[in-house]
Amino acid sequence: MELSDANLQTLTEYLKKTLDPDPAIRRPAEKFLESVEGSQNYPLLLLTLLEKSQENVIKVCASVTFKNYIKRNWRIVEDEPNKICESDRIAIKANIVPLMLSSPEQIQKQLSDAISIIGREDFPQKWPDLLTEMVNRFQSGDFHVINGVLRTAHSLFKRYRHEFKSNELWSEIKLVLDAFALPLTNLFKATIELCSTHANDASALKVLFSSLILIAKLFYSLNFQDLPEFFEDNMETWMTNFHSLLTLDNKLLQTDDEEEAGLLELLKSQICDNAALYAQKYDEEFQPYLPRFVTAIWNLLVTTGQEVKYDLLVSNAIQFLASVCERPHYKHLFEDQNTLTSICEKVIVPNMEFRAADEEAFEDNSEEYIRRDLEGSDIDTRRRAACDLVRGLCKFFEGPVTGIFSGYVNSMLQEYAKNPSVNWKHKDAAIYLVTSLASKAQTQKHGITQANELVNLTEFFVNHIQPDLKSASVNEFPVLKADGIKYIMIFRNQVPKEQLLVSIPLLINHLQAESIVVHTYAAHALERLFTMRGTNNTTLITAAEMAPFVEVLLTNLFKALTLPGSSENEYIMKAIMRSFSLLQESIIPYIPSVITQLTQKLLAVSKNPSKPHFNHYMFESICLSIRITCKANPDAVGSFEEALFMVFTEILQNDVQEFIPYVFQVMSLLLEMHKNEIPSSYMALFPHLLQPVLWERTGNIPPLVRLLQAYLERGANTIANAAADKIPGLLGVFQKLIASKANDHQGFYLLNSIIEHMPPGSVDQYRKQIFILLFQRLQNSKTTKFIKSFLVFINLYCIKYGALALQEIFDSIQPKMFGMVLEKIIIPEIQKVSGQVEKKICAVGITKILTECPPMMDTEYTKLWTPLLQALIGLFELPEDDTIPDEEHFIDIEDTPGYQTAFSQLAFAGKKEHDPVGQMVNNPRIHLAQSLHKLSTACPGRVPSMLSTSLNAEALQYLQGYLQAASVTLL
Amino acid sequence: MSVENEHSERMKKFKNKGKDTAALRRQRMEVSVELRKAKKDEQMQKRRNISVTSIDKSLSPGEDEASEVQLSLEKIVQCVNGSDPELQLLATQATRRLLSRRKDPPVNEIIRLGIIPRLVEFLTYADNAPLQFEAAWALTNIASGTSEHTRAVVEGGAVPPFIFLLSSPHMHISEQSVWALGNIAGDGPLYRDVLINCKVLPPLLALVSPVTPIGFLRNITWTLSNLCRNKNPYPPLDAMRTILPVLTSLIVHEDKEVVSDSCWAISYLTDSCNDRIQIVVDTGILPRLVQLMDSPELMVMTPALRAVGNIVTGTDEQTQAAIDAGLLGVLPRLLQHAKPTVQKEAAWALSNVAAGPCHQIQQLITSGLLPPLVEVLEKGDFKAQKEAVWAVANFTTGGTVEQVVKLVQSGILKPLFNLLLAKDSKTVLIILDTISNFFLTAEKLGETDRFCLMVEELDGLEKIEALQTHDNNMVYRSALNIIEKYFSMEESAELQPGTTEDGLFYFSVDKEDHNF
Repeated sequence: MELSDANLQTLTEYLKKTLDPDPAIRRPAEKFLESVEGSQNYPLLLLTLLEKSQENVIKVCASVTFKNYIKRNWRIVEDEPNKICESDRIAIKANIVPLMLSSPEQIQKQLSDAISIIGREDFPQKWPDLLTEMVNRFQSGDFHVINGVLRTAHSLFKRYRHEFKSNELWSEIKLVLDAFALPLTNLFKATIELCSTHANDASALKVLFSSLILIAKLFYSLNFQDLPEFFEDNMETWMTNFHSLLTLDNKLLQTDDEEEAGLLELLKSQICDNAALYAQKYDEEFQPYLPRFVTAIWNLLVTTGQEVKYDLLVSNAIQFLASVCERPHYKHLFEDQNTLTSICEKVIVPNMEFRAADEEAFEDNSEEYIRRDLEGSDIDTRRRAACDLVRGLCKFFEGPVTGIFSGYVNSMLQEYAKNPSVNWKHKDAAIYLVTSLASKAQTQKHGITQANELVNLTEFFVNHIQPDLKSASVNEFPVLKADGIKYIMIFRNQVPKEQLLVSIPLLINHLQAESIVVHTYAAHALERLFTMRGTNNTTLITAAEMAPFVEVLLTNLFKALTLPGSSENEYIMKAIMRSFSLLQESIIPYIPSVITQLTQKLLAVSKNPSKPHFNHYMFESICLSIRITCKANPDAVGSFEEALFMVFTEILQNDVQEFIPYVFQVMSLLLEMHKNEIPSSYMALFPHLLQPVLWERTGNIPPLVRLLQAYLERGANTIANAAADKIPGLLGVFQKLIASKANDHQGFYLLNSIIEHMPPGSVDQYRKQIFILLFQRLQNSKTTKFIKSFLVFINLYCIKYGALALQEIFDSIQPKMFGMVLEKIIIPEIQKVSGQVEKKICAVGITKILTECPPMMDTEYTKLWTPLLQALIGLFELPEDDTIPDEEHFIDIEDTPGYQTAFSQLAFAGKKEHDPVGQMVNNPRIHLAQSLHKLSTACPGRVPSMLSTSLNAEALQYLQGYLQAASVTLL
Repeated sequence: MSVENEHSERMKKFKNKGKDTAALRRQRMEVSVELRKAKKDEQMQKRRNISVTSIDKSLSPGEDEASEVQLSLEKIVQCVNGSDPELQLLATQATRRLLSRRKDPPVNEIIRLGIIPRLVEFLTYADNAPLQFEAAWALTNIASGTSEHTRAVVEGGAVPPFIFLLSSPHMHISEQSVWALGNIAGDGPLYRDVLINCKVLPPLLALVSPVTPIGFLRNITWTLSNLCRNKNPYPPLDAMRTILPVLTSLIVHEDKEVVSDSCWAISYLTDSCNDRIQIVVDTGILPRLVQLMDSPELMVMTPALRAVGNIVTGTDEQTQAAIDAGLLGVLPRLLQHAKPTVQKEAAWALSNVAAGPCHQIQQLITSGLLPPLVEVLEKGDFKAQKEAVWAVANFTTGGTVEQVVKLVQSGILKPLFNLLLAKDSKTVLIILDTISNFFLTAEKLGETDRFCLMVEELDGLEKIEALQTHDNNMVYRSALNIIEKYFSMEESAELQPGTTEDGLFYFSVDKEDHNF
């Protein structure tokens, strides 16, 4: 592609088309540009256009296209072709800096981004003159140019803030410091000087302050990894100026905007960050400056207003104080009573006040408000910062601080009492103060777990919280209601149980409040109270205590879901779930109505599932309804199927991906509730479950495996009789799963169920193939997880079909295969098997091989008899071998195989763990002793002689213990 | 070892827990790039002789200002190159005086005069002791400058005559030569080995005797320490073996400067591979070093701490030798030392003990080191806090379940979690790894839920959550892993009581399926 006018013209036209709103025009143009971007000169054509085009929109479009082109293509990936030709690379690097600096701001930003992308790859080695080129511009005196340089430098250097120390990184930083630190310092000084000469020129000041902000950011990046020698030597210059900038104010720089932070605020917050960096990392060197900064920063706080635009500055500033006041050697800066009082009064209290912006969020953006207030995503808020400062101060000054605040709380409550409707915000602040003062440790699960002993929480609760919640109108002063409910929630472990019981009907009542925050908090508080533990590991609040409220609780919870804005409120749904699990059989009378409402809800949200938590709890609630009802009346399962299957069919037909795994699990649960043969409605579905497309989605695999396991458990005979032609399909699923390192354990779950439940005749013809498949996998990609599952499987097989059958099937695949498996896999790896049931299966299986397999006694396999016994004793006595070979660390081993998945545990939830060996063998050690005894009576003398020749002494000792316990001897 | 390597090495160890904890020990960081100012508490590599305090004034005539002769540089060249011994002495003395000026000695100018070979020649004028002395002094001060400067002296051929002068009958000349050779040795491994190959050691070591004046002995010790100093390569093994017996006698001297420089020498020799550490340990010097770590003199304690710190980077047995010498009894005081670098070195040593087998970790516990460790984490200087984090990380990697429980009980968690806010990605990552280790222990005890609770109570959870948006990829992934693994299934734990008794239902869905 030549650098010709014709090409420029063509490119202009295509660029124009990429801006067209009509995709029919836009897409082809984008495709075309992509197809030619590999040509030489393409980037240079773009640069020419962004500089010289007559039309501004083309300039901007060219600059964006250029940046994206650089982003996609600049990096040279090993083993891939270089996507930009070398001469273009050189030309770009030679021209881009001056071009960026002479461009208008909109284009400058794009080019600056492009430079930092190139810089990330090429700087410093392949772009040695970049730094000098940038530094030289500092002398230009043109702050438009200077800001361009600073912005580019910032995007090049900011990675120093998060990368790990390395020689490469530090060499680069050193290079940058050598070239950049002094000019930057000089520029800093010069800029500050210009600020005072232009103190009355608003537009000049704006440009200069933008520079100062960038300079302060660069300072942060350059000082992040370690304190550079240059900055240590020049600390006086920087810190003195930073300090005076913190205290500076200029009316011309104040903005009218209440929301957006102005230049002055941005600069001061960055300076707070810089001071915090030095205080944390370079305390020794920074100590002489620190007290000055503490004073300046708290003066700043005292004089800064309530507007949202100051939020970042204020919270940064408070956090700085909070981190300093915890350090023992700065304690003295705070300990004076007047200082403490002034910090409490002028810094903490004002920042805890409920502001107009909070009120707005409470009403109009309740979801965000709740998230911030309840879930602690408030890290950057003022209230949160103020709270942290309270906690920091309490470390050394708990008594005085509590004293100061108690006075405040009282006076604020008095203000409120004088005229509640006007002064309700005072009470809000009082509650907030008490909360932050009292809480030392807090968790979502338990609320406050440690409280400050100086605050009487119960007294405050009875005198100031309960009255609000008892008031006749649930809609009056919604913020105070929310505060009160939150108070119960977080101090639930401090307030005595009888007070909580008094609160429960109040909370239930507030489920009806119109305010989303209030009824959400009420639901959440109830949910939290229901999870509290009492003595004996039972719930603190019992179903009996809740008996009088069951109806109103359920009614209000479901009604709350109909309030505006709460139709998919996850807190309410979670409270429903929790209520079911607490109330158990007392919900049964209400189930018909409950299940109708839940199915309607399910139908409604399945149109467009958007709240995963809500959906999750909804399915939990459905399952609880089924379990609780069917436990009392097993026949009720039919009515659930009637209510749910229609919706389920719709979900499956419409392929609502989010819900399908849930549906499979509910179906498993329902199927398992049947005591008799599998109903025909399920059998009709069976072939569909084997459809490969369902198995392509990883999320379906665990619940589908579980569902098939339920089919096998309940309907193995039906399948063998009525759906024998589907058995290959079923095994096909097994084959697919076994092929994957991530899902092979699921394949084994399925296989184990087949072996355990299917009538042997129905799978006879496939057995050999199954083993061959397993051997192939063992040979091609053996992992620890696979071996563990494999060991469990072959032992289960041995238990089910007999040891001789196991030996025969191995040796029919390949002569002497059985010996090889014993020697190479079972004996060396058995130690890795984990899980009680799994170990038991292996123990019983191996015992069978030792004692019920004649070839073990009289062929060449005999030499493996003692080692196998030794391995079995090891399985009983040695700690589990949980080492994993190096190369397997990166395989996803999260699903360490258990005999049952987390999913199949559902099937037996509330029952005992499923143990296929079951009562057949109670104690595998005794079982081993008895089996050996039996063997030794069959061939007297052989067993003791095999033991005495090669079993090691320790193992022998254990074995003697087993024999003794079983009261048998070997002949 | 680069940081990345070091980290992946460590990661490997975490996963092969308990397999080869010796590899957790961290050598003194090989920093080829330094951003910081050179530290004041390092030993001087080169020194200029600007006064005559250590040398008898009577032997150096004309020291008083009045008799000082001002010569122009041209005149100096002329006189030095001339044949008049009087003028030679005068000019050499003038040169030496210029070079001994407190501020800005004109070293480069003097080198440019090209008189170095001539000054070297004067060193061999055995019949003119004053001239020998002045030349030696001048050359000493040239060699005390930059590497360029030192090179000029060495390339001027000064090494053999200086070594010869070690045995000069005039003590002040011998002493000045020791000093000059010290400067040359201090330049780096190259010249150090040049000296050793020129057989500097026998005459130098012969100067050490019970009657050697203290000032002289200090100079000798300092020069010896420079002969032990620097790596890449390390000093030759036989030189090390020759020097060590002398050092073991110097280190018990009553003069603190002699002791200090002896300790520095040992610290250089131990900043090395385990084989060399073994040679030092075999001398039986460890108890003395540990004793000196407790010295009230900073100049003695600093290098002694460094030397012992280096030794505990070695094998388990070498570390054990330091423990047996009483190291753990001294560390608590050093961890609380007012000087941040001392805290840091002590915490580093502690981290290397914690990297040992669990019986050493046990000794660490019984010696009462957990409370000071917690204190360093809580309010130590940042450099010391970083080392303390490593100590905790190593402890949780190699410690037994009971030991890790002890660590938790000591109150380590709160300050450890606070450091998740540290402005240093590496430290944050190590803490996250450590938290995973704690979880592994908790799992073994069946106390995962309780530990989750502790993490949350101590404000660890919100910090880990916040790290999920960290700019450093490894940090963010590590934080995400912890959250996903331990904190995303809040329900299961809560519903458990139900499942044991009444069959409360838990509807479980694989967490991979949903983006909650």
